[in-house]
Amino acid sequence: MRKDLVFGMAGSGGDGIVSAGDSLIQAAAAEGYHGVMTKSFGSQIRGGESSCRVRISIDPILNPGGNLDVAVALNWEDFLKFGAELPVSGTTVVIYEAATGIKETEIPLVGVTPLQVIAVPIAAMAKETAGTERAKNTVVLGLIAGWFGIGAVAVMKGIRKRLAKKGEELVEANQRAFDAGRAFAMAHPLKASMNIVSSDTKGNVKLITDGNDMCAAAAIFAGCQFFGGYPITPSTEIMQFFTDHVWKYGGAVLQAEDEIAGIGAAVGASFAGMKSMTATSGPGLSLKSEMMGLASIAELPLVIVDVQRGGPSTGLPTKSEQSDLFAAAFSAHGDVIRPVLAPTSVADTFRITIEAFNIAEYYQTPVIVLSDQEISQRKETLDPIDTTQFKIIERVRPTGADLQDYKRFKQTENHISPISHPGMLGGTYLASGIEHVESGAPTNSGTVHARMNDKRTKKFDPLKDRKDLFEVSGNPDAPIAMVAWGSVAGVCREALLMAQEQGINVKLLVPYLLYPVAEGVYNEFFASVQKGLIIEQTHLAQTHKLLRMHLDLPKGVKPMARSGANPFLPSEIVAALHNLLSELQRSHEGNLQPQE
Amino acid sequence: MATRGIDYANLSLKDALDLAILIEDEAQERYEEFAVQMDQHRTPEAAKFFRYMVENEAKHGRELSARRVARFGSAPSAVSRTMIYDIEAPDYDAARAFMSARKAMEAALASEVKAHAFFVSALPTLQDAEVRALFEELRDEELEHQQLVQAELYKLRPESGLSDDDFVDEPAAQ
Amino acid sequence: MSATGTLDFQPKDYKSDLKPIWCPGCGDFSVVQGIYRALAAIGRPPHEIAFVSGIGCSSRIPGYTTAYGFNSVHGRALPIAQGIKLANPDLLVLAAGGDGDGFSIGGGHIAHLIRRNMDITYIVMDNQIYGLTKGQLSPTSQKGRTTCTSRYGSLEEPVNPLLYVLAYGAGFVAQASPTDLVGMAAVIEEAIRYPGFAFVNIQSPCVTYGEEAQQIKGLKAIQESLASLGHNPADRLAAMDLAQQYGEKMHLGVFYRNPEPPPTYGDLVKERQALLSKDALPRERILDLFIKK
Repeated sequence: MRKDLVFGMAGSGGDGIVSAGDSLIQAAAAEGYHGVMTKSFGSQIRGGESSCRVRISIDPILNPGGNLDVAVALNWEDFLKFGAELPVSGTTVVIYEAATGIKETEIPLVGVTPLQVIAVPIAAMAKETAGTERAKNTVVLGLIAGWFGIGAVAVMKGIRKRLAKKGEELVEANQRAFDAGRAFAMAHPLKASMNIVSSDTKGNVKLITDGNDMCAAAAIFAGCQFFGGYPITPSTEIMQFFTDHVWKYGGAVLQAEDEIAGIGAAVGASFAGMKSMTATSGPGLSLKSEMMGLASIAELPLVIVDVQRGGPSTGLPTKSEQSDLFAAAFSAHGDVIRPVLAPTSVADTFRITIEAFNIAEYYQTPVIVLSDQEISQRKETLDPIDTTQFKIIERVRPTGADLQDYKRFKQTENHISPISHPGMLGGTYLASGIEHVESGAPTNSGTVHARMNDKRTKKFDPLKDRKDLFEVSGNPDAPIAMVAWGSVAGVCREALLMAQEQGINVKLLVPYLLYPVAEGVYNEFFASVQKGLIIEQTHLAQTHKLLRMHLDLPKGVKPMARSGANPFLPSEIVAALHNLLSELQRSHEGNLQPQE
Repeated sequence: MATRGIDYANLSLKDALDLAILIEDEAQERYEEFAVQMDQHRTPEAAKFFRYMVENEAKHGRELSARRVARFGSAPSAVSRTMIYDIEAPDYDAARAFMSARKAMEAALASEVKAHAFFVSALPTLQDAEVRALFEELRDEELEHQQLVQAELYKLRPESGLSDDDFVDEPAAQ
Repeated sequence: MSATGTLDFQPKDYKSDLKPIWCPGCGDFSVVQGIYRALAAIGRPPHEIAFVSGIGCSSRIPGYTTAYGFNSVHGRALPIAQGIKLANPDLLVLAAGGDGDGFSIGGGHIAHLIRRNMDITYIVMDNQIYGLTKGQLSPTSQKGRTTCTSRYGSLEEPVNPLLYVLAYGAGFVAQASPTDLVGMAAVIEEAIRYPGFAFVNIQSPCVTYGEEAQQIKGLKAIQESLASLGHNPADRLAAMDLAQQYGEKMHLGVFYRNPEPPPTYGDLVKERQALLSKDALPRERILDLFIKK
């Protein structure tokens, strides 16, 4: 019996393999399992290669999983295009379409001998039972129910619900296809049973959603009433969610004429006193950078979500990467600090998005939420979240006394000046991108500029003490360490557990606050560290460089960095940790040698 | 130079007085604006002269106001600033950066000439004898104002013939 | 009109203490006076007005008023203005800037505010030159014009701002000039009162880099009031005909006023909010949307 199963399925868009993944995770959730589903696509709008990865477990899931337990290939050409995204190993059961004509002993996977390979006449079964090959995905779901014990009832319940409006005939056809798949599996048992144990959380209410919807819901929860944006993959669903819901809360959404107008409208709404946000992806972030600078100097609260994809430029628009870190921290010119936060999962996207609004409103600043394609478009099952535990912070408004002689950019002890908005009597001022004195009047005095730069940067000092924006796990005194953020953090959490089981004394730091760099937190973390890895999905090791820019990392801390669309596997991280351990042991032995 | 919506044929003395006051107000405000512009652009001599004009216009305005109050008290006015534009006030583009006092005076002189022409042109359309008399008086005063400015001009030493542009820095790009 | 009732405001109530940086002789001095007058005529208190601009000489203008001002970035007055309007539709929102700000770097925004019928009044101070950067070609510079970026003459046709906004369907289009401050104030007032996107082009000469023909004297020679021509502002095609003469004639007054103004974007937003508000889950229960049933 298995506690945890990772499925990876690929086909062409027409095969409906992503719909099958959706049905599978929904069914798993209905049966009380935890689930995570990621999707990955080729570049065609329709009919290109598409894949999904569904991980189902009785325990909470840290990441979408490494090597596949089950690989489903509806055709090999499409499957192979995903390369390292769908890694098959010696423990994988491979199920593929018999109509490909490829023998079980000749499947095109180089250098790997799967646990078992089964050719299934999926298309033929679909045609025979449902009258159309289109029902292949339902046959696959039947196979999964039969071989792995997931969704025997819930899958068809879900399908029935989804297709009810389209008529009983269609539901019945699907039922026959599903049953056929299941029957095939029963008739051809696996060499070693891989049935998943039944979930003891069965019956519990579960939420299921993806990172983009979670981000938008969190924003509305935090009181955001305005969204200005422009469609761009993979962030667009955030705008779509606003379009569906924000009106109900007296807010508005503007699909603007371009990225600049999107953030411009959000800046305007914030100036008018409303919590507001925009969302985009790499190229859009570049376009928005001038407005981000404006929001910084005008000290206007604003949340900007950047769902990272492979860059630069169009790059890999459907794949995950973490290479916008520098752009998030440093785009927009001038001396400016703009906080950057990063969620690591769908679940914590809720908290981090709320935090972004709180920081934006409190510090009167643009804040970037650096999500990534994997988190944004992956579905997770979640246990219910108690929303009452989250505090919502509002911007500091001028008091009656402040308004007697109102100075919008007044120097205060904490460098934060009460902010008025149009409609507030006595609070009129000039917001501007030009440097200004306390009243808001323009100036080109170098003295004032230096003083205002000081105000606008010092106000962030308390942020660096926010230890709650960092997660340390493992042994606090460990000599070996990992640092990872965003979607890579989940892989490292799993690697940490595996490494600990294998006797490695290691710890992990996951920063949710990436910028400003909280030197103190890192210095404390690295105090015990001799060897370490900064694990990131960037080609230039941007995280490693960003940290080195701000602090002296121990010499043995190196980047483990790679370009996007090449996910890390927990197993390879553990292997890298083993290497660090050996190096450490060798250097200890070296130290014990008498000097020549 | 324009008025709009004023029925000169039926203009009452009260409204004529109010009109004259509005004209002085407008000129006074314009000169005040010019003086501030000259302050802003470090052109103190022109600023000083424009302030002198502010005083002149204000003085004249006060005299007219006193007459109006004496004769008509606080009776409501039928004319407003939306009915006049640039009667005695110099055109906005009469101001120039770094203008000499002479140029400032010439601008003022041109405005007084303009105002004189206004009253001259309005006279034939007036029916009311008292209003005619007032306009004739105002017309003549504009001549006096011209002489006043002329007198200031005579006080200046003749200009060298060199242009301001031969000396000043180029504008600064922002 | 006013949420707080009609109050008696004077033009000076809208004038701030900031001293304009404009060159003496600049047309913008009269434009700001026209705006003070129009605002006084409307009678909204300054704190209920948001005045947004981009970058350029003329974009300094919000700072010279007592309204909530926003002197933003080059070309982006309109996006910011529409965010303000959507966040608080009860505000009077003005946007202003130069011809480069509006029709070159920010030219892509105008069409969209027009098709959304955002209730914003947009004033362009059109001087056919880039003044702040010292006299380069602007989108409304005449073809053949020599400037420091066109030593041998411009090779481009100018944008026709009037035709541009008329073609996109703006509900209110007018032109004014410093040669007639009273008329300018009246036109701006009418533009603000128009329920929807209103555009006012103001020929505001650049005294430092402008050509002689574009100075007030030159403008007076080619100006002609639309009213004196018997133009009917309800006639959009006639307005477009007249607008063709931009650059040759300077028509002053209202080119077009939609006699049946459609609902504004703000109206439609309010309608939608009212319709959907009953469907709102309490915020603290927003995650219920994700419950797997």
